[in-house]
Amino acid sequence: MNESTRNTNAELRRIERLARHAEGRLRFSRALDIGTKALCVALVCAVVVLVLRKTGHLTEGKTRFLLLAAGIATLLAAVVAYARRLPARAGAVALDRFHNLHDRLSSAISFGQLPKAERTSFMDAAIEDAVAVSATVSPRKAVAIGVPTTIGAALFLAMAVVSVALFEVRRHEYIAAAKTIDAVDVTQDDIDAMKDFLKDLEAKENSEETKAAIQEFNQLIDDLANKRLDRTEAFRRMQELEERLVASKDADRKALDDALQRLGEELKKAELTKPAGEALKDKNLAKAHQELHDLAKKLREDKGKIDKAKLEQMKEALKKASQDHANRMAQLQQKRDQLQQDILKQKQKMGDSGSDEEKSLLRKKEQELERLDRDIKDQEKVGRQLDRLDRELSQAAEDMMKDLGLTAQDLDDSAEDLNRMAKDEMTQEEKEQLRQRLRELREMLRQQGQGGKGQMSRLRKFQGKANGGKQGQGGQPGQGQGQEGQEGQEGQGQEGQGQQGQGQQGQGQGQGQGQGQGQGQGQGGGKGESWVLGPNGEKIMVISKGQGQGQGQGQGGQGGGEPGKGAGVGHNPNVKGGGTNPKMGTQDTQVQGQDTGQGPSRSQVIQGAAERGFTGRGYRKVYTEYKNVAEEALNKDDLPGGYRFYVRRYFQLIRPREGQDTK
Amino acid sequence: MAEPSVDTNVVRAEVEEFRKDIATLRAEIGKAIIGQQEVVDGVISCLLGGGHALLEGVPGLGKTMLVRSLAEALSLNFSRIQFTPDLMPADILGTTVIDENVSGGKSFEFRKGPIFANIVLADEVNRATPKTQSALLEAMQEHRVTVGKRTHTLEEPFVVLATQNPLEMEGTYPLPEAQLDRFFFKLHVPFPNREDLHKILDLTTGGEAVRPTPVLDRERIVKMQKLVREVPIARHVQDYAIRLLQATHPDGPDTPDLGKRFVRFGSSPRGAQSVLLASKIRALFEGRFAASVDDVRAVAHAALRHRILLNFEGEAEGVKTDQVIDAILKNLPEGKVAEAGNGKGSKVGPS
Repeated sequence: MNESTRNTNAELRRIERLARHAEGRLRFSRALDIGTKALCVALVCAVVVLVLRKTGHLTEGKTRFLLLAAGIATLLAAVVAYARRLPARAGAVALDRFHNLHDRLSSAISFGQLPKAERTSFMDAAIEDAVAVSATVSPRKAVAIGVPTTIGAALFLAMAVVSVALFEVRRHEYIAAAKTIDAVDVTQDDIDAMKDFLKDLEAKENSEETKAAIQEFNQLIDDLANKRLDRTEAFRRMQELEERLVASKDADRKALDDALQRLGEELKKAELTKPAGEALKDKNLAKAHQELHDLAKKLREDKGKIDKAKLEQMKEALKKASQDHANRMAQLQQKRDQLQQDILKQKQKMGDSGSDEEKSLLRKKEQELERLDRDIKDQEKVGRQLDRLDRELSQAAEDMMKDLGLTAQDLDDSAEDLNRMAKDEMTQEEKEQLRQRLRELREMLRQQGQGGKGQMSRLRKFQGKANGGKQGQGGQPGQGQGQEGQEGQEGQGQEGQGQQGQGQQGQGQGQGQGQGQGQGQGQGGGKGESWVLGPNGEKIMVISKGQGQGQGQGQGGQGGGEPGKGAGVGHNPNVKGGGTNPKMGTQDTQVQGQDTGQGPSRSQVIQGAAERGFTGRGYRKVYTEYKNVAEEALNKDDLPGGYRFYVRRYFQLIRPREGQDTK
Repeated sequence: MAEPSVDTNVVRAEVEEFRKDIATLRAEIGKAIIGQQEVVDGVISCLLGGGHALLEGVPGLGKTMLVRSLAEALSLNFSRIQFTPDLMPADILGTTVIDENVSGGKSFEFRKGPIFANIVLADEVNRATPKTQSALLEAMQEHRVTVGKRTHTLEEPFVVLATQNPLEMEGTYPLPEAQLDRFFFKLHVPFPNREDLHKILDLTTGGEAVRPTPVLDRERIVKMQKLVREVPIARHVQDYAIRLLQATHPDGPDTPDLGKRFVRFGSSPRGAQSVLLASKIRALFEGRFAASVDDVRAVAHAALRHRILLNFEGEAEGVKTDQVIDAILKNLPEGKVAEAGNGKGSKVGPS
């Protein structure tokens, strides 16, 4: 091998090195490009994985694994891209392309790889030509490693990954919440009223059945107080309780009363049994019981002294009395049978056709038959209760012929029967009271439901006032004081007798703050009545003292405390008379209504009328009296049920409260 | 840097001489032909490659003048055959006639036709009947003519330069595929630009026109033809040419969508031969010692356009084979070299 050949080979190796260098850069560039693309894919995967993680579909461990796998895959793609071989002489071709060498270098490398013997002169010339131009070749310039085209997308995706990673997904954790109900709102005052009523009822001697009803009513009131019932449930419970009370009614009370009255009529006919008969006629079973006992005692003690005619008369009376119910039942049954036969005959006569008049008559008869059936049923119920009494009275009449001692025993038994019926009657009354209360409670809830929150607010305000401001709010009493003061002024104007007082208000109670100073002009003998707005918007008369004890002209906004405990102190020297003594306790006030000539009027002396709320012994007395009168009127007059409720509700609201009547 | 060996010096000298001769030839032709450099180079390439050229262009663009000028500049025998429908094969090849000598004896004598020349101009070759056109087949491929029982070898160099008019297709006989394949190049003769037109008008409407003078003799041309064949081609360049050829077929691995849709048949292996020979000639034109991918790409249109047969859809759509070749070249960029061993293309470096 001569020197020229060696030199040529050396130059060829240099060209090959240049080509390899270029090829290396090509591979690196390719690795960069593919790596960036793989990175884009990995970043997209990362976004998806992070989103799944944030939304809780992937665990932390799986997330880490997938992110790591994406990273490794990217790296692997880049490594594979770099390691993969390029086509033969790719580096040389790249150099030729860039330097516009018309494949001189790549051809030279190709020719140089041939054995020397196979090379032609042209090939050698081509190699020399390539060697000549290779001095200026630069792989760095020929294969520039530029920024991958997908780098923008990769950066964007990287930002997306960071954004997703930083984004905090608010998880909606479902906390098991107790089911709440829209509980019926009943004021504490009403609850107290109901409890008071039930307490009174419990104190009486009751049957087991009534006790159970009271207990159930108590439970209902407790549930309402603790807001455990919504409207539907409350009404359902009330309905259930009322149905039970109605169902347990033994017999028709009226029918029983009628039967006892007729019994009394018969007994009245005999001289000896006349007192008992009259008591029965007056529905005074207790008295009748006593009278029969007295008669029995008399028969035992005065065996021979009693006139036989009287005894005979008594025997007849007892006999008729014992048969009265049976006779009445027989009459009713006979009348019913007769009516039924008439109806059957008429139906047969009419057939399918018939005039309207005949049909109408038939309908009336059928209705009459139904009524008779009901009467018979009632009488049967009454009969079951009277059966024992009838038997004993009949036995007494029979025994009179044998021995008056036996008769006395029979009369004693009859008296006990009457006593039992009297007790039964008492139980029925209590049940009726319970039913009445239930109806009131239901109507109250119904009306409160219609009135909404506004009505409840007014009701509470009123009840707070009725309770002496215990439940009032800080700012409200201030308004009340102002009104009182104004009314006091009005009173003065009308009567012209007012004495002017000046007082300093005491420290406000409860939630009131600040100390206000006001001037009130009280009414000496004026009307001590004021009207406040009731829960339903109706005006309710409130009896107040009307003296100049208000703080009406105080700094309204700041004087938000409770009314002063007592009357103001001090005295206007221009006014005759002494100043109001705050320790004097109650004061009698003459209350006179204005005579409008449009109705009866009355006056009443109230001892120590309430200063706040409906309290005081005098008030209780007046209240009780008024209420009784109202109840009488309600029972006597025919009034719609709704009106009765309003009257009763009115009295319930203005009732004297427990614990305040000592003032 | 290594000193050039003795052999390489010779090669360099030959290549240099080649370039000078070509330059001289171009200059001489340029006396009569203005512009049309690509066509001139194409015709010279056909001559040096031992092939034939099909010149296509509208009348009056100097196709005949070009061929005539080439023949004059080369000092070679030139004959022109005007192809017409009534032209018979014997009119081209020659015929045997009865010759009566002075003694009154008669003998058969073969009278050579116009084909027996170094440069044959087959003017408007598509106007002759297929029978007559076929008479050229043997002469073009084998460089010999068989008449009767005798075969006559044509003198080298032998080059047929045929022309055809693309406009007047009425009454013409399109060349059969077999004959088209025998043309080394198919050259489009473009309409000259304004600058060239000025020169043409100055030359042809002035004084007596200057005619080319012979600058290369027959021996020199044959020698140049041999030199062309010595130019080496690197494997990857040859591989590129092969992939180019494969891509002309509708089912080739690198065939573009256009080719898949509109090509009926691609080029025959003669196409690749033409491409490589033309690439070598082009390398020599530029003084290089080896052909490159650029050379292959540069000669692809001329060497392949007449070898690609369009299907009916392609004809109906008016698709040109040049469009198909453009698509192929676009699909096979210069930097796309073959993977080692499997021939699969891969793009490297800037294209």
